[in-house]
Amino acid sequence: MTRHSLVLKVNGESHALQVEPHRSLLDVLREELGLTGTKKGCDAGDCGACTVLLDGAPVNACLVLAVQADGREVSTIEGVARDGQLHPLQEAFIEHGAAQCGFCTPGILMNSIALLRETPSPTRTEIQEALSGNLCRCTGYVQIIEAIESVAGAGK
Amino acid sequence: MTHESIIGKGVQRVDARGKVTGQTKYAGDMQMPGMHHGKIVFSPHPRARVLEIDCRAAQAMPGVKTVITARDLPGTNRYGYDVAHRPVLIPEGEETRYIGDAVAMVVAASAELASRAAAAVVVRYEVLPALTSPRQAMAAGAYQLHAEAAGNRCCTREFVLGDVAAAFGKAEVVVEHTYFTPRQEQAFLETEAGLAYQDDAGVLHVISSLQDPYGVADDIHLALAIPKSRIHVKGTIVGGGFGGKLNTTIQVHLAAMTCLAKVPVMLVLSREESFVFHPKRHPTEIRLKLGAGRDGTLHALEGEVIADAGPYSGRSPEVLGLTMSALLGPYLIPNVATRAEAIYTNNLDSGAFRGFGAPQAAIARECLLDKLARALAMDPLSLRRKNFIAPGARPTSTMLGDSPVSLELLTERIVEHMGPRPSAPANSSKRIGRAICFDMPVFDVGAIPVLGKSGVGATVEVHSDGGVSVYAGGTELGQGITTILAQMAAEQFALPLERIRVEMSDSWTSPRAGRTSASRLTYGLGNALLLATGRVRKTLLARAGQMLEVAADDLLFEDAEIRIKGVPAKALAFADLAQVCWDRGDQLREEGWFRSAEDRYMYGHTFMAAAADVAVDTATGEIEILKLANVLDMGRVLNPVMAYGQLYGGAIQSLGYGLMENMVTVDGLQKTPSFAEYAIPTALDIPQQFLAEGVETPYPTGPYGAKGIGEAALNCTTPTLLNAIADALGVEINAIPFAQEHVLAAVREQNPTSV
Repeated sequence: MTRHSLVLKVNGESHALQVEPHRSLLDVLREELGLTGTKKGCDAGDCGACTVLLDGAPVNACLVLAVQADGREVSTIEGVARDGQLHPLQEAFIEHGAAQCGFCTPGILMNSIALLRETPSPTRTEIQEALSGNLCRCTGYVQIIEAIESVAGAGK
Repeated sequence: MTHESIIGKGVQRVDARGKVTGQTKYAGDMQMPGMHHGKIVFSPHPRARVLEIDCRAAQAMPGVKTVITARDLPGTNRYGYDVAHRPVLIPEGEETRYIGDAVAMVVAASAELASRAAAAVVVRYEVLPALTSPRQAMAAGAYQLHAEAAGNRCCTREFVLGDVAAAFGKAEVVVEHTYFTPRQEQAFLETEAGLAYQDDAGVLHVISSLQDPYGVADDIHLALAIPKSRIHVKGTIVGGGFGGKLNTTIQVHLAAMTCLAKVPVMLVLSREESFVFHPKRHPTEIRLKLGAGRDGTLHALEGEVIADAGPYSGRSPEVLGLTMSALLGPYLIPNVATRAEAIYTNNLDSGAFRGFGAPQAAIARECLLDKLARALAMDPLSLRRKNFIAPGARPTSTMLGDSPVSLELLTERIVEHMGPRPSAPANSSKRIGRAICFDMPVFDVGAIPVLGKSGVGATVEVHSDGGVSVYAGGTELGQGITTILAQMAAEQFALPLERIRVEMSDSWTSPRAGRTSASRLTYGLGNALLLATGRVRKTLLARAGQMLEVAADDLLFEDAEIRIKGVPAKALAFADLAQVCWDRGDQLREEGWFRSAEDRYMYGHTFMAAAADVAVDTATGEIEILKLANVLDMGRVLNPVMAYGQLYGGAIQSLGYGLMENMVTVDGLQKTPSFAEYAIPTALDIPQQFLAEGVETPYPTGPYGAKGIGEAALNCTTPTLLNAIADALGVEINAIPFAQEHVLAAVREQNPTSV
């Protein structure tokens, strides 16, 4: 199959790649760029573990073709902390025990970052709705919601 | 110790930073030079004779390293937990037993190439009629899945106490009901994954998401005839287990791939493959009968459990054992006759899942108690309180019975949490229901004599700079065991948590520890660790005593120092003392070895209460959980943030079991292949008010008084919700999941002329 040339800008860094058109953004991030923080939970858009931001909007990377992200800004979990400084949401997740096995955590964090940018003071229901596409099997969601509320309350 | 600074605190998990930054490597994140990818070819038929496997087209594809069938395998081609009857690959001429049986495997340069090649393997089958229910499999003339299991009986358990016939004869009220529980999928977010390679000495290394590195090593040895001392198994940080990764999953297949292809191989199951492959919660049919006096005193319990074992054994005996004891629960019932059977079928496989048979039994027991309460026109809480087990009673022969009975305390707490019963909104189709249930969860404190395995070890090492390492054989599944062990070590040496490093789940470098299941690690590893730290403390105190010219008894560990009691100014920094010990050749690495009180299969037990208020809309069928409360006696709450995380997580998994989850097969074929069909709770499904509390009645032999709690969190919520819904609607519930359509069906049945 012919490969397409594209430029993926991930966490502010540009990468020139040659990929087959059917490859998903998820697979290209993980396999070509070695950014394994974004997880594959179902590869079918059902679980949200692969959530990344595409031009700031949360998407399931398994449902985006890499070629669709050509020239656009992709944000993954690896780009959230800056110079070793954790994002307030990351601090809150640690404080509130929001990560148990941690597999859903990168996807939920990316989604939460987008949520708080869009809606700085969400209600509990708005948080639940925003997270409804991110499955978590360990936590029962309570401490995740509490972590997000703690940051939202602080107006960050 | 003069103060307890870390035990009981909600300190940050030691693995949290890696998880929130995406730095933590899970099994599927690993990379290795020369790494290839594996893919398994599964049978599309639950039962079929494999006539011919044609690999030529697959083998010829570019990038394919090798295609493997049974004839290429060394060894016995058989492995398994309690019965080694599970084939790695079904050979030509033999039959498949379920759609998770493998017939071939591919190793290729990329995952995609491996998938394409797997699809190009041509297999001819003779499709045969499958057994798709326990009753069908038990019937006369049914074919036998296993030569050694007549009537497809995997295992049977019986329990008899007193004289049920006489007791039922005298009982003034008798109630009976049959309950059906479905197949529940663990649905961990990380599917089965692993990397295997042989090093330059030909030693096999398997690095994988698992719950028992020792069991995996045994199975690889058994199936592939590789000497045990040349198999190294390392468990990675696991993205969820819940028992689904307790038995060997893909590791034997992976080992075979690397040994035959002679390259490192990565294997990751897709979600669809995962939904088919690993064992799930046993579906059950439970018929239960209770006889009581008119005053509510329970006289007799009689019952029968039929469980669908699926195609292979793997934990069914243990599951049945726990089902049996959970049929009794925390109640005093003097006459009992119960029987449980697990039956082989060609459905999906059944095995370990958090609770291990207790959740099924809890549903039958607690729902029947509410039915009895209705028959007696008695308050369900009063009925239960009247029959609470007495302090000091030893519930069954497998329980130590050494836990104080905290049921009255739990009752007090749960009643306070719930407050007055809410009233239904006026002029509404909504009905309010309430229920309170109790449970007696168990946790493993003993040996596994059935497999000749006994004892748990843990090693602690103080480094020359005063840093500490802990080596332990359990696996971090997300339950937080790594942090619990770090807290205990930090406590013992009075060091900050950051000075402790924990390394887990290595079949060679971790002391033997057994499996990560049965809520056993805090108890077993914790006790082993305290023995180890005890030895190192003694060495440190002896050297410090010498340096400070006092007796070791006059010293204590405090704030990263060793101080003279009553003279805090005279102290040694822990780091300085460690360096001296190191230089003087003192032994600072010790292993603790813990054996349980009785060297047989034993459980400690604890107590739990759950309560719920629901609003059920008789017009739409919607079920709203207004309030859910869980109170669990934890012995000692070692880390409240993590402990509450267990309660919330377990309750939601239990909610899913009761209200929405059902892994459906028809004729042995998967009908719920993805998360789109198999619904698990989302953030929208949590109760409006969700209260969790851990109470503490210290467990005499538990480390710091702690009990095992991981599974307890799941047992109680399902029957509580079902009873609350039954209370709201005034109906009997027979089967779960009980969802919107079932509410409407029940309403229609009550009012045939309306709706």
